[in-house]
Amino acid sequence: MSDSRLERLADVIVGYSAGVKPGELVLVEGTINVEPLLNELYRATLRAGANPITRVSLEVSEYLLTEGSDEQIEWVNPARREDVEQPDVRIVIEGAANTKSLSAIDPTRQALVERSRAELRDRYLERALSGELRWVLSAYPTNAGAQDAEMSLAEYEEFIYGAAFLDDGDPVARWRAFSEQLHRVVDFLSTKEELRIVTEGTDLTVAVGGRTWIPADGHENFPDGEVFTAPHETSAEGEIRFTYPAVFRGRQVDDVRLRFHEGEVVEATAARGQSFLEEMIGVDDGARRLGELAFGLNDAISTFTRNILFDEKLGGTMHLALGTAYPECGGTNRSALHWDMICDLRSGSEVYADGELVYRDGRFLDV
Amino acid sequence: MRDPRVARLGELVVSYSLGLQPGQIVRIDSAPVAAPLAVEVYRAALAAGAHPYVNVELERLPELQLAFGSGEQLDFVSPIGIKEIDLVDAIVTIWSETNTRALSRADADRHQRLIASQQRLSKRRWERMASGELGWCGVLFPTDAHAQDAEMSLEEYERFVFRACHVEEEGDPVGHWQGVRDDLGRRAETLTQAREVRIVGPGTDLTLGVEGRRWQAADGRLNMPDGEVYTSPVETATEGEISFAFPALYHGREVSDIHLRFEGGEVVQAGAGRGGEYLDALLSMDDGAKRLGEVAFGLNYEIERFTHNTLFDEKIGGTMHVALGSSFDDLGGQNSSGLHWDLVCDLREDGEVYADGELIWRAGHFLEQPQAVERV
Repeated sequence: MSDSRLERLADVIVGYSAGVKPGELVLVEGTINVEPLLNELYRATLRAGANPITRVSLEVSEYLLTEGSDEQIEWVNPARREDVEQPDVRIVIEGAANTKSLSAIDPTRQALVERSRAELRDRYLERALSGELRWVLSAYPTNAGAQDAEMSLAEYEEFIYGAAFLDDGDPVARWRAFSEQLHRVVDFLSTKEELRIVTEGTDLTVAVGGRTWIPADGHENFPDGEVFTAPHETSAEGEIRFTYPAVFRGRQVDDVRLRFHEGEVVEATAARGQSFLEEMIGVDDGARRLGELAFGLNDAISTFTRNILFDEKLGGTMHLALGTAYPECGGTNRSALHWDMICDLRSGSEVYADGELVYRDGRFLDV
Repeated sequence: MRDPRVARLGELVVSYSLGLQPGQIVRIDSAPVAAPLAVEVYRAALAAGAHPYVNVELERLPELQLAFGSGEQLDFVSPIGIKEIDLVDAIVTIWSETNTRALSRADADRHQRLIASQQRLSKRRWERMASGELGWCGVLFPTDAHAQDAEMSLEEYERFVFRACHVEEEGDPVGHWQGVRDDLGRRAETLTQAREVRIVGPGTDLTLGVEGRRWQAADGRLNMPDGEVYTSPVETATEGEISFAFPALYHGREVSDIHLRFEGGEVVQAGAGRGGEYLDALLSMDDGAKRLGEVAFGLNYEIERFTHNTLFDEKIGGTMHVALGSSFDDLGGQNSSGLHWDLVCDLREDGEVYADGELIWRAGHFLEQPQAVERV
């Protein structure tokens, strides 16, 4: 049975998010769990007059990480370099069969994977930055995702389609209107030098003057809804406590608290997952510094799902990422890591811009 | 649950069929439904020190391409796909479908156009295989769809497939296939001495010229299961008639009770019980489609049943098959065609085969064990 919402999702991703044009080379990527959406994207891409190619994988990381040698783990498939070099558009669909299948893997082996992939990731970002490659990350509702979100599969499907505005009569028009709203927030924040975030367990100051704020309006992530920048690498001072569990590659770390001095993490604690947190922060020098600061603004996303694609857009939250920065924001931090951590600001929270209160309890005051 | 038979098959493909070496790159092409075997091949390749990766091919894409693709889109060949062929040391193709007839109603011309563009991709692959730079093995993973074609339950069909590969029971499948390699290798050397082969059976009396052509053993390295010896006959020498008791399949379409008459190597008369129009269309595909590109003995006696799948049917112990269309350059064949269509002839009841006038095979068995040929 083909789900008509799935067809709509594919149409919006291909038509609005990626803006696929005739003759373009479009790489559609995912695991076998997301096959129904990959089929729809393939169809939508053909209808757009472009040439789709698929890159479909099995979840074999567990075997590589437990049975492979270091050399095998570090091996980068030369054919996948072509995936970074050649396509005009790359659409990646996530949707695991089991988001915790790598929980027992030695973190040092996982770090090996991160390091070996860094070069491809950098090249990918470079092509994206220069405008040669457009990319979209989206998600297909699986039972594993629903389980992490503590929902039934049917509820989780509703959640995803709702967050994507697919129940709207004209989802594309809705995304265009939302995009204008995000641009207004960006225009406002672009005039500010310094932000101070204050909530329970948090009093953090970062410099953002001169850095570019970007509205995430459904082109690179779908669904979407945030504004983000790369803070000055040496500016973060103070502490932050992340209300939501921090999830990275299927591993969860609870109640993360970070203390920054001159931009660098000088103290990191967690109620659970301390050693994984330390391991990841120790991946390289850049992993101890901030690569991103952002505000989540999609009010159709109101519950935490343990999936960063949705969680970082939660209306009324902000998030920071440790590790690599987006060069298009003017960020210079480089790392194999990019780990988003989210802080709920919906109650008892304030954000000051250059000393002036601009945001309270999940809302910008004058935007 | 891990099926030990699937694990043995994965290990057999990696260590016997491909003989993977540490550091080699192997791509595993698989449909989603064959994931259990793809994973076992992947793990066996890791254990061999190779760099494996799985390339999943979604089953519905050709159908979508045929339904929605423009002519240009049907002709499109991925530039990455072409480059990728040069980057790998070996490819495992896992054949496995959830519906073997999904394209039965597709527009024939558009389908032909899609096949032609896929062949542009496989051309480079065949070149590298022929030069020995690229290893390849094709293997089937049993599904309900294949079981249905074979008119069996899935469980029965699994036993059939794993038995044909000699992995149904615990034991030494690699040792078994090494024995097959020795046996068929000697048989091929013996047949290479022959100038003429005459096949006699029900509705069949066909003489083929094989002088100067090399016979090759298919011993489980390129296909698993396997078990045949074959060559490309002299293109202009086939004379007489042949009847095929088994239905013949091409791209999911079936033609039954085919009867062919040859003169001077060319089909001059062709009849069929069912699918005669399709037979005629295939024969007139190009000049080479009317001539034989292959003649072979099926010698896997662990395959006894016809299952509507050439991979198995052409190896049924006691059968012979010929293929219309393209021949094998490396065996001395000179016929070129877009077609290579295997047609299987059952000789188990009362078939006879003569080599240069001497009876060498009766009722599905060679009369003598192959002898090592003395080299001069």
